[in-house]
Amino acid sequence: MKRLAALVLSLWAAPAFAQVQGVMLDEPMELPTFEFTNELGEKFNDGDLDGNWTIVMFGFLSCPDVCPFTLGNLEAAVSETGMRVRPENVPKVVFISVDPDRDNEFVSEYAKFFHPEFEGFTGARDQIDALVEATDSFYRLLKPDQSGFYDVQHSSAVSVIAPDGLLRAKLQPPFDPGLTAEFLARMQIAYRKELTQ
Amino acid sequence: MRPSILAFLFLPAAALGGELKIEDPVVPLAPPGAMAHAAYMTITNETDQAQALIGVSAPGYGMVHMHESAEKDGIVTMSSVDLIEIGPGQTVKFTQGGLHIMLMRPEAPIEEGGSVDLQLEFSDGTTQAVEAKVERIMHGSDGS
Repeated sequence: MKRLAALVLSLWAAPAFAQVQGVMLDEPMELPTFEFTNELGEKFNDGDLDGNWTIVMFGFLSCPDVCPFTLGNLEAAVSETGMRVRPENVPKVVFISVDPDRDNEFVSEYAKFFHPEFEGFTGARDQIDALVEATDSFYRLLKPDQSGFYDVQHSSAVSVIAPDGLLRAKLQPPFDPGLTAEFLARMQIAYRKELTQ
Repeated sequence: MRPSILAFLFLPAAALGGELKIEDPVVPLAPPGAMAHAAYMTITNETDQAQALIGVSAPGYGMVHMHESAEKDGIVTMSSVDLIEIGPGQTVKFTQGGLHIMLMRPEAPIEEGGSVDLQLEFSDGTTQAVEAKVERIMHGSDGS
């Protein structure tokens, strides 16, 4: 939570964006090793972060409102980013379900509904918890109602991981596609500058 | 029975000078594996009485709830809403990231171009049938 406070502070210190779509972390954060899988038997692990930009979003498939809205906006934002950066720098979008019991049979298909190149994974609880914790994200499975249905609370922000495998920014609602693309493109310029210094 | 009383008995909404107007009912095309998806619409109370939406049902679904998404300190939470009050002349918008009708456990997948039948139940004892179109929602900047 302390880290979150730092994020909020840096939010105020970023006057360049009238409507804040993202926050660059002052201190890039290392991520733990992890491995996720999906119904196609595909794997997603920390090694897959190397060499490309990755946007990681946590959610769950029984989320009727916020998750589809976020993924739809991310699809539009990534398309717009594609017009501003080289093809190899277009971020890869990875959706990770925090609700493997209900979602493991559909998670890849779900993500691909929003864009054929979006990837969806889920995995063991300890793997989910490790990445949630490391990205300063949050989720909680709520108590089931009489019918057995349970809701899931989760962070609204998504994580941006740079080609060096470090968490470097968070994107946050409303995920306006044009402004988010602008943020991502500027962030990539800042990243390359930092690498050449 | 005098004609004026007949009119009052059979056309209560008209007699009150308005109705509950429902506009733009839509169900965004749901992704595969979604065990719940949403319906949105705009309801305007054109009567001169306070009204409340007290229930929604939909054949073909295990359960239907009215829900509200809210974000607090970066955490998104949904909460169940039992009733939505709509004062005279007021408009209530169901919209992404806010109030929505949550359609749970669909018996069959929905298809683009299809529709979902909803029954809205109001506090004055009336119900309204609404046909919500299934559409693929396009996302753009500034609501465009």
